[in-house]
Amino acid sequence: MTQFLQQLTNGVVLGATYGLIALGYTMVYGIIQLINFAHGDIFMLGAFGGLALYDVLPHSMQDQIIIALPLCTLAGIALSVAVAVVMERVAYRPLRNAPRLAPLITAIGVSAMIEEGTRLWYPGAKAPLDFPQLLPSGAVTLGGVRISYASIVVVVVAVVLMIALQTFVLRSRTGRAMRATAQDPDTAKLMGINTDRVIVVTFVLGASLAAVAGVLQGARLGTVRFDDGFIAGLKAFTAAVLGGIGNITGCVAGGFILGIVEVMAVQYLPHGSGYKDLWAFVVLILVLVFKPNGLFGEEVAVRA
Amino acid sequence: MTSAFFRIYHRYREQILRRTGPRGRVLLIAGMVLCLIASVLPWAVNGVGYTNPLGGNLQSAGIGGPRLYVLLLTLVAGLGLTSLDGRRRSTIAASLGNLVISVYILRGLVHEGGGTGAIGVGVWVALVGSLVLFLGADTLPVTPKNILPSLPAFADIALILVVIGVGLAALVVGLGIEDDKQFVAFALFVVALVFALNWLGVATAFTDAFERYRYIGYAIAAAAAFAFPFTQNGNAQWMAVFARVGVFAAAAIGLNVVVGLAGLLDLGYIAFFGIGGYVSALLSNAVFTTVHVHLPFLLVIPLGAAVAAFFGVLVGAPTLRLRGDYLAIVTLGFGEIFRIVAINWTGLTKGPNGIAGIPDLQLPGGFDFGKPHTLFGQLLPFQSNYYFLDIFLIAAVMVFFARINDSRIGRAWVAIREDELAARAMGINTVALKLLAFGIGATLAGTAGTINVHIGEAIEPNAYQFIFSALLLSAVVLGGMGTVAGPILGAALLYAIPEKLRFVQDYRLFLFGLALILLMRFRPEGLIVSRRRQREFHEGGSGADAMSQPGQVAPV
Amino acid sequence: MRNRYVVRAAIPAIIGVIAVTGCGSNKSSGGGTGSSGSHTVVIGLSAPLTGPLSALGLGMKNSVDLAVKQANSANKIKGWTIKFDPQDDQGDANVGGQVAASLSSESNLVGIVGTLNSSVAQQEQKAFNDQNIVMISPANTNPALTQGDNYASGTKTRPYKSYFRVATTDSIQGPFAAQYLKSQGINKVATVNDQKTYGAGLVAEFEKQWKKQGGTVTSHQTINPGDKDFSGVISKIKPTGAQALYYGGEYPEAGPLSKQMKAAGLNIPLMGGDGIYDPTYVKLAGSKSDGDLATSVGAPTDKLQSAQDFVSAYKSAGYKEDFSAYGAYSYDAANVIINAMAKVLPGKTSIDSTVRQAIVAAVQSTDFDGVTGHVSFDQYGDTTNKVLTVYKVKGGAWVPVKTDTFNS
Repeated sequence: MTQFLQQLTNGVVLGATYGLIALGYTMVYGIIQLINFAHGDIFMLGAFGGLALYDVLPHSMQDQIIIALPLCTLAGIALSVAVAVVMERVAYRPLRNAPRLAPLITAIGVSAMIEEGTRLWYPGAKAPLDFPQLLPSGAVTLGGVRISYASIVVVVVAVVLMIALQTFVLRSRTGRAMRATAQDPDTAKLMGINTDRVIVVTFVLGASLAAVAGVLQGARLGTVRFDDGFIAGLKAFTAAVLGGIGNITGCVAGGFILGIVEVMAVQYLPHGSGYKDLWAFVVLILVLVFKPNGLFGEEVAVRA
Repeated sequence: MTSAFFRIYHRYREQILRRTGPRGRVLLIAGMVLCLIASVLPWAVNGVGYTNPLGGNLQSAGIGGPRLYVLLLTLVAGLGLTSLDGRRRSTIAASLGNLVISVYILRGLVHEGGGTGAIGVGVWVALVGSLVLFLGADTLPVTPKNILPSLPAFADIALILVVIGVGLAALVVGLGIEDDKQFVAFALFVVALVFALNWLGVATAFTDAFERYRYIGYAIAAAAAFAFPFTQNGNAQWMAVFARVGVFAAAAIGLNVVVGLAGLLDLGYIAFFGIGGYVSALLSNAVFTTVHVHLPFLLVIPLGAAVAAFFGVLVGAPTLRLRGDYLAIVTLGFGEIFRIVAINWTGLTKGPNGIAGIPDLQLPGGFDFGKPHTLFGQLLPFQSNYYFLDIFLIAAVMVFFARINDSRIGRAWVAIREDELAARAMGINTVALKLLAFGIGATLAGTAGTINVHIGEAIEPNAYQFIFSALLLSAVVLGGMGTVAGPILGAALLYAIPEKLRFVQDYRLFLFGLALILLMRFRPEGLIVSRRRQREFHEGGSGADAMSQPGQVAPV
Repeated sequence: MRNRYVVRAAIPAIIGVIAVTGCGSNKSSGGGTGSSGSHTVVIGLSAPLTGPLSALGLGMKNSVDLAVKQANSANKIKGWTIKFDPQDDQGDANVGGQVAASLSSESNLVGIVGTLNSSVAQQEQKAFNDQNIVMISPANTNPALTQGDNYASGTKTRPYKSYFRVATTDSIQGPFAAQYLKSQGINKVATVNDQKTYGAGLVAEFEKQWKKQGGTVTSHQTINPGDKDFSGVISKIKPTGAQALYYGGEYPEAGPLSKQMKAAGLNIPLMGGDGIYDPTYVKLAGSKSDGDLATSVGAPTDKLQSAQDFVSAYKSAGYKEDFSAYGAYSYDAANVIINAMAKVLPGKTSIDSTVRQAIVAAVQSTDFDGVTGHVSFDQYGDTTNKVLTVYKVKGGAWVPVKTDTFNS
């Protein structure tokens, strides 16, 4: 039983990461009907941005987690957001009216460029890189289950951010503009909303969340690789679909469910660990075949 | 920032034009003369202590290497003085070609020769000359692409022969150039020349002639393809590459059916290729295999194709009704599932190590694919055997593709691609037809896959990562979706170029990503254009296809 | 209008691309420049020069380069100059296949040093054997490469006559580790492997010996190369009471695994084979990795006298990278080929299949003292040198703890 609970906590932590990344996917898809293939790489860039800043911090600051962690996170966000904005402007915006094949292929190209660019030009990125210990070490043990402080931080941060995002989208003016643009961009334009700007804001929000996830994941696992984005991105997309594309709370739930499923498969299936990544795809296929709107899905607005 | 640059450029252009007026021809002639002089001057300084990496002896006067290219391009630019249509663009292409070649050589000299002191007079003259030539070309009146007068039958056929022959010669020469820098200069020359000739109407004349005398054209192309191994002088290096290119081209044609004809985006396509491969490997009694059965290859091909087809239908049946984007991700998921299973089911597939020591094919008559053979007095390395097999495969697939494209099924696919709802309303069984396309694609991939593993004599799961599906997709898109020859060209370019430009190897995927972005932005219909596709892509926002959401109606 | 823009925009793009690619250097071809009028023979290399294992691969490349340079300047082969053609197999079996195709089609090539990874070697052996090109690995440890797929059940057949190795196999390395752990008083071990030829084979040999010694394997797990998050595996192993974790695989996964283990409270040493014996492992495994263990073939390089000469020659040659774990072995492997060439080539004017076969035969009868010890081959192509060393991480670096010849 304790083993089950232990793995459950592992799953929740994993799921928090997936959820944060998934939010970016779901928002962008909701607004411009594009699966941003390169979103996973934005996640990876967040980690690398944090790492880059850490390497130039003076030693005194490096040891102070309470200072280093937020700074590195901000650095990660800066890098991710910058790349995301450029990506939107240069690669996606010109293709907004093209048949669906074009932006998708472009997204694949962008993803390849980001991954390879990092591998080629970030010093040492051709091998896995060591990521600093920015999360508190140590753990608390409840009834035989060891919960590390790091995991608690990750989950808490993730949940707080998700709530913040949900509030933002529901309450603020920009949030309303985002929802309007998602529902009907032409009418939104007629209502005086600058849809281009709204789209940029969407990308920025998604990238920020992914960057935070990147830094947290890097700190938790202690290693980053240039190809982290690919699998993480696919799994996060699965989480988004599982929860219902366009639905923020669904995203979060989808992330946790996926994380738990994955870890349980490792625990209880023979050779489970080798097949670890497979379950995300199986879930994806099952959801899309049987319940394409996701678990909590709202009917995705059909553009008239 | 680029728009600012162009604004400045336009302003100065106006000033220059006002001064030279209709006498832009003066610039043109001046530029030509300079370039001609440059092509005989030395391009590198004598006695500078470096080994000349640029080939030809650039240190002395005379025509060699890049100077020959400059000379030829200048001659083409000379056509700017005539009254041919399209001369502006072609002369611009030629002058830009000269410019880029000069810049490239300049850079190479500075880099390898140890500094600006190594640059010979000729390079500067060429630079200036090509700039002047460009400015002169820019003053020419804008005209549409040239249309050559229609030629009598024998001239048409001669044209096809010449173009294909020259193409083959260029390929052989290009592949034979050992030094990377020389090759790049050669490639630049070829590109500039192709652009220039395109605007002079040669390309259109060729395609028209080909359409008119299609079967003769195919025969000539096939002959050229067959002739290729004989040009290699027994050297196996390129035969190995092209044997693989052949297999990938066949797979690309299969993907073309799925993506180009039926409009279904399959990002997991490489898995079918892999399924065919594993079936073939397991039944070949390889040295490191798990299944100790040896079936004759002629039986294995259809078996591999059948297994792949089975999985194609299995995958397609529940998922083909999904929207375009979702279908793409789901197929990607299947591709990854295949790869993960292949890695972990070590009992069957030997896991990450794959199956090695796959024997070469043997035909019942005793013909061993693994041995080199001599034909017409030329020694053909053993990869040529697979290459010839590939040609047969591609020919068969091409015939199949052309027939189905022209049939009711093909037209139904077009209808589905353009507007699925309307197609269904017209009584087309969209589900069955989409499944058919998917299944056909899987079958073709499986067939190609069975041959592929024998060329490399081994198979392993890492060859079937997602990136290779993306590569195949790019080959189809680059070559031209929906066309017959497009995927072959795309596959050839995408697989052969990285092999040739070895120094680019590490940057390969990065450039690949960049190329995809540029391609989708500026020329999404690919190199060989299907008229229909071009209209689809450039009609602006209303271009509807199966990728868009159901319910979107194409405006009248 | 739009097209015009395209053409104009393309210009800077094209020039930019040209500029970038123009920076590329020519295909590297190190090795000596011989006296004019001599014939050229080629030695090749297949190793990961890029990618996560590049530290090991580059060390291999530089060491072979050193051997070739030394041979050329000493004019070791009368009338012939040796050219060195190193190729990058990226540690990837797929790329290895292409490298093999490319190298085996070179007409002047008689031998190659490589590979690093057993899985890559599997894809390359046949291509070289078909051309009678001798292939000597400084690092492959999987027994199947020389003893056939059925070696484990006792039937040993040599699959390829032209394949040799100067490093000893996992049949030795795994059991050696098992003996060491037992001598430290450990009885319960969990194993993890990455399912590649090398890792799976190593763990299999280890477990065989471990059970023979009466120890228990509390958990047998697999991961995939490229995995990063090991929390599931670690949580599975923790309650089993293992006293050590034996890992079959390479350092890109082993390092993070060790780091996460310690962070999750599983404070047992991780022990691996020569695949983790690299400074990068310590960097990745972090500060808590003291006490982790690894075995590597041969004695520590600074122990042997012949090795000292190699080390100083390597240093004065000014290579950027360290010769790392397999440098000395690559050096010996290169010299095996060079010695064979010195026996066969003088008097010959071209390379054909009879010359190549003669070189293979000469390699088989190699018998000299190299920098890693005595170099000679048994009937399977395996080295007769069975010396191994256990290393431990102490204070952020690998420190040798025990050197011995394996006795089953």
